Amino acid sequence: MKVVTGVIGNDIHVVANRLMDLSLNARGYEVFNLGVNTYLEEFFDAAVETGADILLISSLNGEAEGWSREVKMLKAGYQSLDNLIMMIGGNLSVGSGNAEDIIPRYKNYGFDLVCHQVDLNTGLDMLDSYLQEHRPS
Amino acid sequence: MTANDNRLLIDIGSTYFKVSSKDHIEQHFRDFNKRILDDLMQKCGKTVQAFAPENIHICSSANGGLSSLIIGLTHSYSLKYATNIAYNAGINIIDSIIFQDIEDYSIPSDLVDVVIVVGGIDSNGNLFDTRLDTYLSKVNYSNVVYVGNATDAQALSARIERLTVLPNIIDNRLHIVEEHLKDYLTNLYQQDIEGKEDIKHLYDITGNQIYSTPYIVSQSLPSIHGKFSVTDPFILLDIGGATTDVHYSKDLISDNIVTEQGHDRIVFKKLGVYKSRQSLIFTAENNEYAYELLMHLKVTENIYNEHSEKATKILMQLAIFLVLCKMSHYRPMYVTLRLLTMNSIVFTGGITKVLTEDDIKDVVAFFYRKILNSDHKPATVLDTNYDIWTLGAATLVSQASHAAVDHAGSGVTTNSPGAVNSHSGAQEQSTCP
Ligand code: B12
Repeated sequence: MKVVTGVIGNDIHVVANRLMDLSLNARGYEVFNLGVNTYLEEFFDAAVETGADILLISSLNGEAEGWSREVKMLKAGYQSLDNLIMMIGGNLSVGSGNAEDIIPRYKNYGFDLVCHQVDLNTGLDMLDSYLQEHRPS
Repeated sequence: MTANDNRLLIDIGSTYFKVSSKDHIEQHFRDFNKRILDDLMQKCGKTVQAFAPENIHICSSANGGLSSLIIGLTHSYSLKYATNIAYNAGINIIDSIIFQDIEDYSIPSDLVDVVIVVGGIDSNGNLFDTRLDTYLSKVNYSNVVYVGNATDAQALSARIERLTVLPNIIDNRLHIVEEHLKDYLTNLYQQDIEGKEDIKHLYDITGNQIYSTPYIVSQSLPSIHGKFSVTDPFILLDIGGATTDVHYSKDLISDNIVTEQGHDRIVFKKLGVYKSRQSLIFTAENNEYAYELLMHLKVTENIYNEHSEKATKILMQLAIFLVLCKMSHYRPMYVTLRLLTMNSIVFTGGITKVLTEDDIKDVVAFFYRKILNSDHKPATVLDTNYDIWTLGAATLVSQASHAAVDHAGSGVTTNSPGAVNSHSGAQEQSTCP
């Protein structure tokens, strides 16, 4: 499975991104890591060029929500991304936030999997089970 | 003058030509009723005759460069990478098409020299359905090259006649791979220059290959600091009669295009003060600040209808302003330069003969104040003596003679001076300084 990943917006927190790259590779995904400081259009464009199955966005510095509001509109402009699995994780609010409010909001923005302050491995386990359920091979 | 000792360097532009030797430089407006060679010989025959053909080096931008149409999958990767490579090879782009919307694009009315089709990493495929064939069947083009994913190459070759297939310009990590397409386009441009009836005659006076002018200018950039006090990062503006060329330090963009070379080029096709005068005026009329600039320069829009020295001067000032606008966040293009971190602007070409340093500084300051709200003042450097062009030509000449020595040493036979291959050889050297 192909995964495009990176850190959205002007965010430069790079540590989680490096760990994400390693963990995804270790789990057998084909990883396209766009790194920090990646704009939404670049994520979608990379998904088109690679034929990715999954888009996995990180956000640490509090920018996530602003960008996420644009997801549906921007994605609607692409004809080949209807089956793309959308996942986001990191710090999804400014301040600590409350996962119970945050998750439904982000699902509404167009994400299938939302991991607010969830550690990486738990998040990737969630992805594995999601795939088993929705894309049994 | 930097021309090496007994060399004569000739640059044929769309509007005028210049001829430079060790201690002498002259510039003449072209007479379009004459063949270039006749015009040149009439105006500087004595000078030309004083040099042996092997000491005469010619470059040309007279044909305005080749035109290309790019069809790709996304703005951030396929179109952007192909655009970057095309500009660096001296090619102009008339349109870029996002494939999924190809049916919504109009068909270019003019002949397109080369269509570039690109998209997808090699493991992705089946990306170009028959909408591509339908579109291409309506376009009038001379060449078509495919530089997209390997999976689709065979099927496309079968469907599209005379399709040249080259390795993908997007690698498996989504990085750019320049060399194959760049060589192909540079050679195409080179062949075009050499094939042009008017240019062909120039081989009567030179024993050397005729190059494209933007290529010559790009050759000078790595060694520009030896000649001028230029502080990095910088841009170099060549505002010509038909087009405006901008060469810029890579440090001015934050971008996903990672390559080894330190400079890139963009060209504004319809921005010039003679041949493209009308479209320059049109662009100015559509820029809300251009009017203020005219007021600042104490003229009115009536100047557009005048054909005087003063009008030429104002148009050149407008051209500087409009180009800076086009490269800033105010009018984003395929790249946006971080103009607030730029330390020098170098001006070359005819503009340096018409505008004074103060005229230029005035416009640059106006741009920074109005558009970027800043007092930033990059140093302005004027190449009044065509040193940049001479430097580029001299760099090429010395590269060519080194290459000849290398080849002789290895027992490999060299190509004749006019051969296209010698060009790409020189180019490879330039990208790995
Ligand atoms: C180091 C650091 C920096 C460094 C970054 C250096 C670098 N290049 O990486 C510097 C000093 C530059 C920096 C700058 C800023 N930072 Co800072 N920074 C941190 C800090 C201390 C550690 C981050 C880190 O590397 N952690 C280690 C990694 C491994 O953990 P992690 O990033 O939390 O990621 C884990 C999970 O979130 C998860 N994860 C991440 N992404 C995803 C995605 C998915 C799908 C899943 C499942 C899981 C997942 O996996 C990781 C491992 O489990 C945190 C505080 C903290 N303790 O977390 C603040 C923190 C992230 N920074 C913060 C802020 C505000 C900033 C600044 C805006 C400060 C400022 N005012 O200038 C700037 C922003 C700069 C920018 N443009 O982005 C805030 C963000 C607050 C928010 N979201 O509300 C934090 C939380 C500090 C705080 N408590 O206020 N920062």
